[in-house]
Amino acid sequence: MLIKASVAAAAVSVVAMALPAVASADATDDYPIPNRILKTTCTVDQYMAAVRDSDPVYYERYMIDYNNKSPEVQQAARDRIYWFFSMDYAGRRQYSEDTATNAFYEQLAWNWPNWAKLFFNNKGVAAHGTDTCAQYPPSDPAVWNW
Amino acid sequence: MKGMRFASIVASAIVPAMVFAAPAHADPDTDFTKELHTYGIYGQKDYNAWIAKIACKRLYNGVDQDAEKSAKFIFLQLQKGSTTEQAWQFLGAALRTYCPEKLPILDASAHQ
Repeated sequence: MLIKASVAAAAVSVVAMALPAVASADATDDYPIPNRILKTTCTVDQYMAAVRDSDPVYYERYMIDYNNKSPEVQQAARDRIYWFFSMDYAGRRQYSEDTATNAFYEQLAWNWPNWAKLFFNNKGVAAHGTDTCAQYPPSDPAVWNW
Repeated sequence: MKGMRFASIVASAIVPAMVFAAPAHADPDTDFTKELHTYGIYGQKDYNAWIAKIACKRLYNGVDQDAEKSAKFIFLQLQKGSTTEQAWQFLGAALRTYCPEKLPILDASAHQ
């Protein structure tokens, strides 16, 4: 009898420990990656050109940061963001989940913590950029040359 | 009529060149801010200076090809309720302070 009760109590407490950890680290549809970025159909180049016009100081800061990185890290950042934008909503949402729940998931972040700041860190900037990005050419390498 | 009005707006960006051809100061941002105040443009000093420098950069690398495009870029960064004239005044001050070699673009617009 006593054994039964303690087994039941132990089972309950094990569940209690397991559940909050999962729930608290979950991503949402707007965090850590803004919803607008999960859903936009614009290319990386279109989005960057739009932010260059809508939030020039934010863009300037990002590009100063970018220009201070080694060519290898710059290349890795470009490859990574083009890869991210190549995915559909479900893939991006999964990536958002992966980065939110596992700090070791995004290897690039160890080389450059703010590597995706222009894209992921500011909902206002993401909203302005995605509002107008469709007006810009899909491919414009000049957006990285600033 | 419309053309005349545009010409006078552009002129408002050029005329102060004579007034503000003052002695050089140690901090161009301070002079720039003071000039903006005479046009009723306020806001953060560093922000305005950065917008001005970025406006020059955009002219140098061809993102903005003429004064109209540059004034439009500036207009979108000014506080809501700012006028087109203030955007042109801002542009004139920015060119004089940070990239005087680009000043001829103002004349080019005025003569269009």
